[in-house]
Amino acid sequence: MEPKLKLKKDMLTTEYSLPTGISFWRKIVNKLMTVLVIIAVILAIIPLILILGDVIIKGAPALSIGFLTHLQKPPNVSGGGIANAIVGTFTMVGIAALISVPIGIGAGVFFSEWSSSKISTVSGFMNDVLTGFPSIVLGLFVFVIIVYPTKQFSAFAGGVALSFVMLPIIARTTGESLKLVPTTLREASMALGIPRWKTVLRVVISNGKNGLLTGILLSVARATGETAPILLTASTSIYFAKSIFQPTASLTVLIYNYATSPYASWQTQAWGAALVLILIMLGLNLLVKLTIGRNVAGKRMDI
Amino acid sequence: MAMSRIIDHGLEEQSVLITKMGELTFETLVLSVQGYLKDKSVQEEISEMSDTLSAMADKIDDKGFELIARFQPVATDLRTIKSYMKIGNDFARLGRYALDISFINDELGGLRECASWCKDDVKEMSEKVLETVGISIDSLRKHDMTLAKSISQTEREVDKMYVDYLQKLTGSEENNNKCVISSVLMTRYLERIADHATYVCESIVYVVTGEKITLS
Amino acid sequence: MGEQKISYYKNSDLSSVKLATKDLKARFGKLQVLKGINLNFPENRVTAIMGPSGCGKTTLIRCLNRIHELTPGAKVEGEVILDGVNIYSPQVDPVSIRRRIGMVFQKANPFPTMSIYDNAVAGLKLAGVRNKEILDNLAEKSLRMAFLWDEVKDILKKPGTNLSGGQQQRLCIARALAVEPEIILMDEPCSALDPIATAKIEESIASLKKEFTIVIVTHNLQQAARVSDYTAFMYLGQLIEFGDTKDIFEYPNNSLTEKYITGEFG
Repeated sequence: MEPKLKLKKDMLTTEYSLPTGISFWRKIVNKLMTVLVIIAVILAIIPLILILGDVIIKGAPALSIGFLTHLQKPPNVSGGGIANAIVGTFTMVGIAALISVPIGIGAGVFFSEWSSSKISTVSGFMNDVLTGFPSIVLGLFVFVIIVYPTKQFSAFAGGVALSFVMLPIIARTTGESLKLVPTTLREASMALGIPRWKTVLRVVISNGKNGLLTGILLSVARATGETAPILLTASTSIYFAKSIFQPTASLTVLIYNYATSPYASWQTQAWGAALVLILIMLGLNLLVKLTIGRNVAGKRMDI
Repeated sequence: MAMSRIIDHGLEEQSVLITKMGELTFETLVLSVQGYLKDKSVQEEISEMSDTLSAMADKIDDKGFELIARFQPVATDLRTIKSYMKIGNDFARLGRYALDISFINDELGGLRECASWCKDDVKEMSEKVLETVGISIDSLRKHDMTLAKSISQTEREVDKMYVDYLQKLTGSEENNNKCVISSVLMTRYLERIADHATYVCESIVYVVTGEKITLS
Repeated sequence: MGEQKISYYKNSDLSSVKLATKDLKARFGKLQVLKGINLNFPENRVTAIMGPSGCGKTTLIRCLNRIHELTPGAKVEGEVILDGVNIYSPQVDPVSIRRRIGMVFQKANPFPTMSIYDNAVAGLKLAGVRNKEILDNLAEKSLRMAFLWDEVKDILKKPGTNLSGGQQQRLCIARALAVEPEIILMDEPCSALDPIATAKIEESIASLKKEFTIVIVTHNLQQAARVSDYTAFMYLGQLIEFGDTKDIFEYPNNSLTEKYITGEFG
């Protein structure tokens, strides 16, 4: 190692001495904070890793093509699957999306384009309250308004309940995304003699579509994982539902039923179903990242 | 009161130059006229002063161009700069006339060989003309429009004197060549000096009101 | 505040009045921004509106194509008369007015999700024009008028935001021209641009006025002097002076105008 260059005393007119005591202390504090922060991150991730690990280990044995395509079978009978649960979940989320996406986007447009009105502030507040509503209460509400009068559990009722979960999320994210679209773009469009509704449709929404898509996908992911509202509205079934006005199985309820059953084979299938559910959620999240990523890469400016 | 602007320094410089030039012009004219009337040779001195006046006019032009190129002056500033350049040229011209007067004084002996009535008339006219130059310089110094406009009257008197003298001269028995030529040239120069003094006053009216008028 | 001398056109200028304001007032909530403006804009000429910050010039120009009223809390009173018709009368559709009176904004705002070509014809496409030939022709025509065609003719499909600031602003000018308006309003179009980009736009203005009437708001005195035929000076929401640009900059009638253009306040 080369010797460090030493300043000779007569090279300077004044003597400088570094306060080594203070810098040493600061270095220690810096290192300590860094270590603490890293520990916090690890602690936060550990549960996720443990859960994933557990699900993968316990659920992988249950996975097979048959598992995904066969109907449920009694415990200890081989060849059982969760096909109807998968279809049921997709059906109900689909119904929920059909209801909540148009209404949610419409509400979001109102929040952003009429943001200065009192109605907007009040309904915005109410929307945010709805976002955090206990989903079991939403299920109860749909039970009262649809299930009880029709004397029928149904996939439709389940879809409606899930739409209440999705709607406020879509409305809020749409509103916020559209608000981020610069006013100057609206003015540019209006100044060309384009009427307001077309400006909103063709310019504002088109420029905010990343945020819209994100909001929709996130709400879909959320709805896919709901259990309580479906329990009270779609109940469950061991068959494919023949129409949406009949009860249907769903992944979340199936996991609940199988996991709380005393049968080992069903418990394994529960883990398998949990793994499938988690894979669907991961898939949706990846889709979000890819959609935004692709749209951003080609542009100079990100809205 | 008014915030000092970036152009003010340059305008001030040009203003000082033109004022000094005006004073020098007056001195030059007085010297040459007196030399002529008192039969004294002043050509060398006048020549130097006239050269100085030309140099000053150039400097004023240069300053004006610099101000225009750098500061994009408008309105009063622009009119002032333009007018100062014009007035500088008028003053330089007056310097040349002073030189011409001193020249004919030396070559033709001034009014030495003239009758006394010639001497009196030319003296009176030269006093009036110096008055006009004084008015132009004073109104320049203060940008005084009223004073500038008052030159009109005096200038008309000068014109009348000029015409009267020529008529008198042609009708008289004066036949000394030197006297005739010298006094005619002198009165001619005097009349032109008054004209240029008037132009200076017209420029001043333009600075103040933006109007281009004739004062003669 | 001093004599308000509004001089109209010299006898030699036979241009008629294309757009006029009559006692135009505007406010934001309680703040009265325009206090009664009477201004005539001659046809096929460039009129510059200048004045210190806060004098109301931007509000004025935004009232001319009814953009001001889009801001929440904004109110307009008085009249704006286009070819004899008050554009604020209830029977008039603001959307149709904005097709006849186009606008270029202070900061270039091309549509980020559209290509250069699409931006140029955005006003037509969004209005439902589908004929490719018409769109192609108008795209080229308006890009040429904005002095941008040569620079973008080979990259028409690239995103509009790929261009430099000056090019983007010319694209916005082309976009405004493509809908074939009669009047073009420009709100400080060069304030965010470098001198060369500014010069290009000023050149285009000089050629555009043959076909259009142009109103340009600017805080740059020299630009107003270079580019306009007529100049209006505003202060604190009022019109102080209006006249030939040459006259205003050589000998303004109002002492306030003189103070402003010689830089005693700004």
